[in-house]
Amino acid sequence: MELNGRPQTCEIAPGANLLHVLRELRQFSVKLGCETGDCGSCTVLLDGEPVNSCVVAAARAHGHQVTTLEGLLDDPLMKDLQARMVAEAAIQCGYCSPGLMISLYAHIKAGGSADEAVLREALTGNLCRCTGYVKPLAAAAAVATERRGGTS
Amino acid sequence: MWDLKEYRFAATAQQAVSLMRQGPGKGAFIAGGTDMFLYPAGCDFVVDINHAGISDIARTPGGDLFLGAATTLHNLAINPLVTGFAGGIISEAAAHCGNRPVRSTATVGGNLCNALPSADMAPVLLALDATCYIADEESQESLPLADFFVGPRVTVLEDRLLVGLALPADAGSRSCASYKLTRSAEDISLVQVAVALDIRDGRIETARIALGAVAPVPMRAVLAEAQLAGQTVAEINPDLIADAAVIAAGECEPRDDHRASAEYRRDMVRVLTRRQITRALFENNTRTETGGTVA
Ligand SMILES: Cc1cc2nc3c(=O)[nH]c(=O)nc-3n(C[C@H](O)[C@H](O)[C@H](O)COP(=O)(O)OP(=O)(O)OC[C@H]3O[C@@H](n4cnc5c(N)ncnc54)[C@H](O)[C@@H]3O)c2cc1C
Ligand code: FES
Ligand code: FES
Repeated sequence: MELNGRPQTCEIAPGANLLHVLRELRQFSVKLGCETGDCGSCTVLLDGEPVNSCVVAAARAHGHQVTTLEGLLDDPLMKDLQARMVAEAAIQCGYCSPGLMISLYAHIKAGGSADEAVLREALTGNLCRCTGYVKPLAAAAAVATERRGGTS
Repeated sequence: MWDLKEYRFAATAQQAVSLMRQGPGKGAFIAGGTDMFLYPAGCDFVVDINHAGISDIARTPGGDLFLGAATTLHNLAINPLVTGFAGGIISEAAAHCGNRPVRSTATVGGNLCNALPSADMAPVLLALDATCYIADEESQESLPLADFFVGPRVTVLEDRLLVGLALPADAGSRSCASYKLTRSAEDISLVQVAVALDIRDGRIETARIALGAVAPVPMRAVLAEAQLAGQTVAEINPDLIADAAVIAAGECEPRDDHRASAEYRRDMVRVLTRRQITRALFENNTRTETGGTVA
């Protein structure tokens, strides 16, 4: 597969999920939460689309692009999002944060709206027990509005 | 981790079936895998169908809409051919299934082949008279979606592959409404109701009412449909709609489970069927609504 823009080969068990393989590859932003596709702490991008890596077969990534938060640290949009999340104090325990930020990143990158209802829809796959979503949504709305040239 | 001996990739539908029959041991197809990773039921190998050329969405020259079985729910939600068909009811149903990242990989074929009574894509596709295309190693067969489900988690497929679904061109102009009753959109349906009415010159030519999560398989309420067919929109009255809804509630066979009682489900079929018929008739509004409370 292509992991964060670089070719990556590895041996995997046929029944492994992508989550475990990515952690073995030291992508520690990919967190294990529920392993049932519900919590979103394992969210990564597969060919640019957000997926829950715990319910994706690792073998499926063969020949495809996988992007984790580690691969986006120098990305201007992700940097904006990080700065806004910090400015809004949108991170408490932080366990959900990498997955949540991947989902928001994918939404904003695709030109998605800054409307609260639409942003909430983009986060249907990410559970956060601490923040109540208010601050992460405010951060995302600010970045999305900026990207869309001031319109929501 | 799932105890699997081999992961195979199929490049065509026919190859998928032959890889499945090759053995050794028990095999299964895998598309999105969003169900299989939840219930990694004992199989020795899987055959991945994501590169088998069955992921396309197309409109045939005759106007039928073809949905490849391995099309993702997210694609169904955003593809213009689908959002523009039957007022976008298929897209709406897809957008209310699971959560956003699940929809990136979950497929419409996986949703139907899983054959849960609550499969969220089944009611709208039943209401639009979908036909299933099934591949064997050498041949293809088609049959109405209504005949596809045999029982909970059982379809007519056996070791054959669902290639895709076709919706007839005329279904594209039906007046539709559907409702997913659930605690939250990403949860499994308690009750699903989809209504599609073919209205021509002010008369209901055909009516389709499909129900989910209230019988061993997704079903059509054919007696309630018969109550509506042939009526003129000008003369139809609330009593007639309410009667049809009562008939639909009588046709379903709900069960008690930890999510809801059979009695509640049956009553919700009545309430929601009445409302969806009314919306399809008068609001010309096809939005699939999701909601936990029905006042
Ligand atoms: C967090 C979460 C939330 C969910 N919410 C919902 C929901 O709200 N509503 C809902 O209906 N479902 C829901 N699901 C279940 C599941 O995501 C969907 O049913 C999905 O559409 C399954 O598709 P898949 O491609 O992932 O199936 P897979 O897991 O790949 O396959 C499912 C089954 O179908 C078989 N199969 C797949 N494709 C074919 C084919 N073309 N021919 C023959 N057999 C085939 C497989 O062998 C397997 O038995 C949810 C799942 C998760 C993890
Ligand atoms: S660990 Fe994957 S969604 Fe929770
Ligand atoms: S910050 Fe703790 S779960 Fe979101």
